[in-house]
Amino acid sequence: MTFKNIFSLTLLSLIIFFSSCKKEETNANPVTGLTKTGSGFAVGAATKVDIYTNTAAIQSGFQKFFFVLTDSITGNYIDDAQIKLTPMMDMGTMKHSSPYENPASQKASNHLFEGSVFFIMSSMGGTWTIDVNVLNKLNNKEGKFTIPVTVQEPAQKRMLSFTSAVDNTSRYFVGLVQPSKPKVGINDLELVIYKRQNMMSFPADSALSLTFEPEMPTMNHGSPNNVNPVHKGNGHYKGKVNFTMTGLWRLHFTLKAGDAIAKADSLDIEF
Amino acid sequence: MRKHFFERIPVCLYILLWCSNTPLFGQDDSIKTVLLNDVMITAEQKQTSQQLVQFFRYNQGATLEDILSRLPEMSLIRRSSYGMEPTIRNYSAGQVNVMVGGMRLHGACTDKMDPATIYIEPINLENIQLQTGTQGSLKGSALGGTIDMKIAEPVYYDDNRVHGTIQTGYQSVSNGFYGAGILQGSHGRWAYRTSGTFRMSDNYTDGDGKEVAFSQFNKVNATLAARYRLTDYSFVQADVIADDGWDIGYPALPMDVGMAKARIASVSYQEHDPSKIRQHNEMKLYYNKVRHSMDDTKRPDVPIHMDMPGLSETAGFYATTDLKFSPGNSLLLRADASTTFLTASMTMYPEDEPPMYMLTWPDNRRNQGGISAQWQWQADTMKTLKVQARLDAVQSMLTTQEAKDHVSVTGGNTNNRFDLLKNLGVQYVRKFRNNRWLQASAGFAERMPTASELYGFYLYNAFDNYDYIGATDLKNEQSLQAEIGAGSTRKKFKWQAAVYYHYMFDYILGEVNPDYSAMTIGANGVKVYTNSGNAWKAGGEASLQWQMAPLFAVVSTVRYTYAQHDTGDALPFISPFKNITSFRYAAKRFSVQAEYEAAAAQNHISTIAGERITSGYFLTHFRTGYVFPWGKNLMNLQAGIENIFDATYREHLDWGNLYRPGRNIYLQIQVGF
Repeated sequence: MTFKNIFSLTLLSLIIFFSSCKKEETNANPVTGLTKTGSGFAVGAATKVDIYTNTAAIQSGFQKFFFVLTDSITGNYIDDAQIKLTPMMDMGTMKHSSPYENPASQKASNHLFEGSVFFIMSSMGGTWTIDVNVLNKLNNKEGKFTIPVTVQEPAQKRMLSFTSAVDNTSRYFVGLVQPSKPKVGINDLELVIYKRQNMMSFPADSALSLTFEPEMPTMNHGSPNNVNPVHKGNGHYKGKVNFTMTGLWRLHFTLKAGDAIAKADSLDIEF
Repeated sequence: MRKHFFERIPVCLYILLWCSNTPLFGQDDSIKTVLLNDVMITAEQKQTSQQLVQFFRYNQGATLEDILSRLPEMSLIRRSSYGMEPTIRNYSAGQVNVMVGGMRLHGACTDKMDPATIYIEPINLENIQLQTGTQGSLKGSALGGTIDMKIAEPVYYDDNRVHGTIQTGYQSVSNGFYGAGILQGSHGRWAYRTSGTFRMSDNYTDGDGKEVAFSQFNKVNATLAARYRLTDYSFVQADVIADDGWDIGYPALPMDVGMAKARIASVSYQEHDPSKIRQHNEMKLYYNKVRHSMDDTKRPDVPIHMDMPGLSETAGFYATTDLKFSPGNSLLLRADASTTFLTASMTMYPEDEPPMYMLTWPDNRRNQGGISAQWQWQADTMKTLKVQARLDAVQSMLTTQEAKDHVSVTGGNTNNRFDLLKNLGVQYVRKFRNNRWLQASAGFAERMPTASELYGFYLYNAFDNYDYIGATDLKNEQSLQAEIGAGSTRKKFKWQAAVYYHYMFDYILGEVNPDYSAMTIGANGVKVYTNSGNAWKAGGEASLQWQMAPLFAVVSTVRYTYAQHDTGDALPFISPFKNITSFRYAAKRFSVQAEYEAAAAQNHISTIAGERITSGYFLTHFRTGYVFPWGKNLMNLQAGIENIFDATYREHLDWGNLYRPGRNIYLQIQVGF
C-alpha cells in the first residue's frame, strides 16, 4: 500500500468517524407529561371536562390547571369555550376563596385550556373544591360542576403570605410560578402577586416592586447576572435567576411599596 | 545480499557509539538500543537538548520530570511530588505543545494534575524533541514551543532471543520504590518491545526534617509496541501505553487524586529511503483517553466532601513527508487533525440536602486541522536559511445543552467558535571555522485560549485562592519573537547560548470580577480570564558540554527569564536565574558524578497572581555507578545522595507553602540480559 492510499483511507475513515445523524421526535398527545386531577360533566353544556396538572400533586401556592373539553356524546374535542373557575375552601365554620386565573383564551391551544389557582393553604385546614363553569361556544350552552381537590403542602414552600409592613393592613400572597423545572444555567424567574380584597376576592397586584438575591446557604455563595422580576401583567412578575450548580438555593426577596419595604422573606428551591 | 536498513540500525549505532568514544553518553549497555533512532532524526539545531537528556537519564531512577527540569529551556510547575507541569521558557499550559510521539493529549484534570509527561517513563523514552518559540510550531500552534517525547521503538536484532532489562531502586527521602523491566526482540519481519514500570512512594521529608503530608503517590505504567516491516524501507507499527495512578497526594491543593488512568494507542506507518527525494514519510493515527478523579476523603477538616471526575478523549492523525531536493534544499511538510472532547464535573455532598452538582468543564469539543511546512535552504556550506509556517483551523464547541446552560450563566457565547491560527518563523544560521555558528531568528506565533480559559466554570485555583471562570470571547494570544544564538559543536567542547525577546499581544490573565461570588468555600473571589493587554518576556539559556579529559566531563546549563506586563506588573510563574553543573568521571566500569544546582531568588513577582518572593538556594548531589559482569550479563549498580546538605528550599514555580525533599539517599540496580 502506498503512502497516498493510506492517507486517503485515513481521511475517509475520519470523515465517517465524525459524521453523525440526529432524529427529531414530535408528540401529538396533548396531555403527555400531565397528571390527571379528575373529570366532570358540565351538565347543560353537553361537555366532558378532564382536568390535568403539570405537577405530580396539587400543592399550595400557584398551581396550573389544564382543561381538555370533549363533546359528551361524540367525544370530539371542543376547542372553543369559556371556562370560569371558583376555588373554595370550606373550613367548617367559614368559607373563603383564593386567587385564580381563568383560561385567558376562549380558544384551546393543542386542545388545552390553561388556567390556575393559587391555593393559599393546604387541605389540612378543610376541604378545597373548584367550581368549573363551561360555556360551550359550539352550542352556546352553559353548564357547571364542582370537583374536590386535595392540596398538599410542598416540601419547599412556594408562596409567601404577609401583611404589608407599610400599612399593616394589606394582605398579599406571592407565589412562585417559575422555575418549575430548575436547572443549572439561566432560569426564568416568575412570581405572581395577589392582594386580598375580601375573603372571596383576591385581585392581581402590580403596585409592589421586587428585588431578589439568590444564595446557596450551605456554601454561602450566590450567582451572577440575575435579573430582578418586573411586572408584565396580571400580577405576574418576570425576571431571570441563575443557578451555578444543583442543590439547595435560597432566593431572598425584598418587596417594596414605593421605597418602603413591605416584606423581606425567602423561598427555597431544591433540585 | 543487501541487508535491510532497519536491521542495520543497531550495528550502525554500535559503530557510531564506539567511534565517538564518548563515555559520557553510552557506557550503559542497555541504553544502546534506546539511542537508536537518533540516527533517523532530521538534523536539528537544538540537538543539544537531546544530548542533555541522554546525559541526565544516566541516573536510572530519574523520572522524566527530573530530566526535564535540568534542561535549560524548561521549568516545571510543581503541585506535588508527581505530575509536574512542564513549561518551556516559562510558557505553560495552552502556550506550549506537550506531545507524546507527535500525538496530542489533553489532561483530564481541571487543575492540571496530569500533564502528558507523566505517561512516559524514561525507559520508554526514545528522545525528546524540544523546540522553542516559533521553531516549535511545526507540530502545533503555540507561543512557547513544542516538546515531543518520542516513545522507544522496537528494534531488529540479529538473533531471535528475547532481550531485556530489569531495574529497581529505592529512595530514602520518601521510602520510595520503583521497578521497571523491558522485554524486546524480533522475529522475521516482526519486532516488539514491551515494558512495565511501577513507582510507589510515601510522604517525603523536607530539609527541615518535616514530613510533607499528602505527598505520596503510586503508579504503574505498561507499554507495548509491535512493528512489522513491509519492505526494506517501510514498516507499520502499533503502540499502546497504559498508565494507572492511584492515591496520589497533592499537598499544594485541597484535594488529592484517587484515580488517574490514561490509555494511549496509535498505529503508524513509516517509509525511510534516503535515496529518494521524498526520503522520509510518516503517518500516524491515534486515540487516547484520560480519566481522572480527585479525592478528598483522606483530608482532615473537609467542609463538604466532593467528587471531581474528569474525562479527556482525543483522536487524531498526522502525516509528514520529508523532501530532499538536493543536499542543501529540503522541505518538510506536515498535515494533522485532531478532535478532543473534555468534560469535568464537581459534586458536593452536604448533609440532609440534595447533592450539589456542576460542570467545571462544560462538555466541549475542539476540532483542529493544521498544515505546516519547513523549508531549509543551504546557500553554501556556511549559510542556512530555515523558514517555517503553520496554519491551523480550530473549531471549539459546547456539545450539550447542559454545557451551554452553564456557560450562559456567566454571559458566555454558546455558539461554535472558529479560529484560524497563523505561525511563522524564519531562522538564519551562519557557520564559521571550527564548527562555530551564529544564528538569528524571528517569528510570529499565535495560540488558542484553552478549554479552561474559554469555558471554565468556577475552577478553583489553589495558588491565588480564586475561582476562575472562562470567557468565550477571548481573543487569541499572539507573540512576536526574536532570538539570537551562538554555539560551537567541537568534539570535546560543545557550547550553545541563546537570548530571546518575545512581545505578547492580548496576554490572557485572570482578572477579579467583584460581581461574582466565589463558589469554593474560603476562596477570595472570582477571576475571569481576560485579554489583559500586552506583555513581554526576555531571557536566555546556555549550555556547555566539555570533555575535559578522556574520562572526565563537565556539563553545565544556565537559564534566566524576565517577564513583565505593560502595566508594569511582573508576569507570574517565571523561574529565576538557575545554574546546574555536573562533573562526571566515568571509567569503563566505575563512575562518580558531583552536581550542584544553584538558583537565585525571585523578587520580581506577580502579586496579582498571588505570588510570593522565593529565596535562592544551593543544592549538591553526589552520584556513583559501577558496572560489572554478572554471569553472562552486565549489572549496573548506582547509588547517590541528593541534596547532601539537607537544604530547605522551594522553587519559585512550586505551589503551596511547601519545601522540596531534603537529603535523599538512593540505591539502584539494573541488569540486562
